Amino acid sequence: MLQYIFRRLLIFFPTLLVISFLAFGLSQCTPGDPVEQTMPSGERGYISKEAYDRTYRQTAHQMGLDLPLFYLSLTAIAYPDTLHRIVRKEYQENLRKLISHYGNWEQISLYFAELNAADQYLAQLPDSIYLVKKVRSELSLLYLNDQDRSIQARLDSINHFLEQDTLLANLAGAQMRQLKQRYEDIKSQQTPWKLKIPTIHWHGFNNQYHYWITHFIRGDFGVSYRDKQPVYDQLKSAIPITLMINGLAIFFAYLLAIPLGVYSAKYKDQKFDRVTLVVLFMLHSLPVFWVATLLITFFSTPEYGMDWFPTFGLTDLPQSAPFMHRFWDTAYHLVLPIFSLTYGALAFLSRQMRGGLVNILGLDFIRTARAKGVSERQVIWKHGFRNALFPIITVFASVLPAAISGSVVIEVIFSIPGMGKTTVDAINAQDWPVIYTILMLASVMTIVGILLADLLYAAADPRVKFNKR
Amino acid sequence: MKKNENIKTNAYWATVKKNFRKNRPAVWSLRLLCFLIVFAIFGNFIANEKPLYCEIDGKSYFPVLMDYGLKSYPEFFSVNWLVDLKKPDSRFDRVILAPIPYSYSSRDKLNRNYKSPFGEQDIDLLRYRHWLGTDQLGRDTAAGMISGLKIALIIGVLAMSIAGFIGIILGSLAGYFGDTYLRISRIRFFTIILGVLLGLFYGFLSRSYALAESDFFAKEVLIGIVILIGIIVLFNWIGKLLERIPFLRKDTAVPVDLMTMRLIEIINAIPGLLLLLSIVALIKNKTILNVMMVIGLLSWTAIARFVRAELLRIRSLEYIEAARALGYSEVRIIFRHALPNALTPVLITLAFGIANAILLEAFLSFLGFGVDPSLVTWGTMLSEARGSWAAWWIMIFPGLGIFATVTIFNLIGEGLSDAIDPRLQRK
Repeated sequence: MLQYIFRRLLIFFPTLLVISFLAFGLSQCTPGDPVEQTMPSGERGYISKEAYDRTYRQTAHQMGLDLPLFYLSLTAIAYPDTLHRIVRKEYQENLRKLISHYGNWEQISLYFAELNAADQYLAQLPDSIYLVKKVRSELSLLYLNDQDRSIQARLDSINHFLEQDTLLANLAGAQMRQLKQRYEDIKSQQTPWKLKIPTIHWHGFNNQYHYWITHFIRGDFGVSYRDKQPVYDQLKSAIPITLMINGLAIFFAYLLAIPLGVYSAKYKDQKFDRVTLVVLFMLHSLPVFWVATLLITFFSTPEYGMDWFPTFGLTDLPQSAPFMHRFWDTAYHLVLPIFSLTYGALAFLSRQMRGGLVNILGLDFIRTARAKGVSERQVIWKHGFRNALFPIITVFASVLPAAISGSVVIEVIFSIPGMGKTTVDAINAQDWPVIYTILMLASVMTIVGILLADLLYAAADPRVKFNKR
Repeated sequence: MKKNENIKTNAYWATVKKNFRKNRPAVWSLRLLCFLIVFAIFGNFIANEKPLYCEIDGKSYFPVLMDYGLKSYPEFFSVNWLVDLKKPDSRFDRVILAPIPYSYSSRDKLNRNYKSPFGEQDIDLLRYRHWLGTDQLGRDTAAGMISGLKIALIIGVLAMSIAGFIGIILGSLAGYFGDTYLRISRIRFFTIILGVLLGLFYGFLSRSYALAESDFFAKEVLIGIVILIGIIVLFNWIGKLLERIPFLRKDTAVPVDLMTMRLIEIINAIPGLLLLLSIVALIKNKTILNVMMVIGLLSWTAIARFVRAELLRIRSLEYIEAARALGYSEVRIIFRHALPNALTPVLITLAFGIANAILLEAFLSFLGFGVDPSLVTWGTMLSEARGSWAAWWIMIFPGLGIFATVTIFNLIGEGLSDAIDPRLQRK
């Protein structure tokens, strides 16, 4: 037994690891600049570029975004392994594009350094000098240009400005000529062959993924873009609600499915069985979100004269109301959602139960029991049911993820502030940290559920061979 | 007992067919499905704001063919058809309208804001009546139902062909080879892994900006895949050459089954809808193609499992051994001899899978993350119904549509699985 648990755990952790890779990889594909979305929004517009850069760098450092992406990376040798130190996402992206055009990092880095130097030098010049601002705005565009034509156009217009203003030309002319020379160097000393040779860089443990996953394990899920609050605070109240709803729904589904399945199996091919089969089959095909919409429309709005249930949320009562009142009010609010969640699982489970029991009831030991004169009731509940129970336990592994998925739409329709509704709200607000945290947490919950079902099964059924998979 | 001629033709399929025919609901579902497919293909003849046929100045036109890519309409009619048609138009000498004279996107300005099917509608002639009502923009629900049917079938079938492709290949390799059967020399194992890495590098990584900035993304991806496969084949060949050195020739087993099953386990451990949502949220332009690709890529696991289980059984049968003894290549044995006998279970999962894909698409559109909202699908209609309690018709009909199609596919799947059930065959 211990060995079996150990083996299951051995599979458990790699699965988690791969899922974390997946969630992390997806979170890297999100549009937008995470640093900018996290930065205090007030400081975006009016502060100077230097102050902005400083705040940007600080925020990026706090979020660990100035680290390499992963433990190792497969790139062409043209790309340096230190590119991640350029924190600004747009700048880094632009440098990557430049490298992908020319393949010579030495020249490109010199050009970039010159660009930085020129920008800083111009920043020190007093604004009173005519055209400084215009030159600087051209420079800031150079950070974002990778096409030869547009870079050439920027350099030309800077030249043009310098010709107009002799004071500026005296002060910054040498620097601008240097910048132009650096760019000419990039083009004249191309090394495209470097783009064709792959290499693997080892970045060590100080990387973004490591940062993310270690913080995740400690319960620090990052900061929500929407309200700049820790993601944890948003999920703290959502997770118990989702778990409660799903727990209740699965509980009711099992509670109803078992007797239904058993009776169908007992009266196999008789009227009761045939009717339940058809009804359950129809229930199985009914889309949950449709049924939920119908229920909420017909039974919770005055439109059709059947305003029997509350429409939204978990409870209308304030926190201060007595517990029992809140309890009954919540239960009243949950009738429709739980019903919608239950019926799908019910159909699936009772079909499983029936199938399992029908198979068992056809076996020899049941015939023996009947021949012995055991009452029919005992045959079914004591001999048949106990043996047919195991498949029902195993399907728990597939019921749980389905229920968590299904509760997404139920929570949205009934405005229940659980994980599903949080996800959908987060997607609408493009609040990526919340989305990927929920994805990870839901997967972890599912895997733990599957693991528990496996262990339960192994504990209940002595026939499970622990040494075999 | 069967006669000789029956054995010559595929006896297995014949039994499956015979058993399937006994299942009345399944047979009727199949017939209904065929009808629905025809209905969807020729849907533009049924609901269309363009006339089926019209005669202008003695010339005949078939404007409806425009929807099928044929240019058969007078130029001056590219204006809004509906506006022209609502009033008896003197320009037509003769005209035949579609049974539902509205397209899914045409907005009837006179009948906006949820006109009930039983309520009063602002129409001149009975033929312009919205038999299933309209939505807020004045779009006809019946026309929307047909558009929804078309999109549901396209999504279901295409998503499942992607899922089927991946599932069948991975499942059959896993089932046929198991963990021990596929043995290749150390050096080839090594060179193939190297080939995969290098192939990914040259196919995709080193071309990442070409990929990102290209207008034809699919074409660039295809080129990438060709490069990847080419490099793998090349390295496989290098490995074969190096096998002449005795030390490198030693065998190792490739645990294909273990790897596939782990992959399936991982994908199944993630709550599917959440994964689907978080991937679809990243897609910028949600065409039908993109959405169904994501659905397909996430739902191959059931098919792979079924095929694997079937091939595990089949590979130990005698005729496979005979094929091996004849010296056929493994690829030929798998795809020509083993797989055809595993196809019925695949059909079952495909039928259930299509039902599931239709549900998923409706679910996504319902939440507003599905296909572009300018397209009318059952899901988008339902999501519109969510905000407007009084308009029961845009809630009932699309839901019934989803329910009916899903039930049809489920019944077909059910019928198939009963048909190949060995317990039934014994009877």
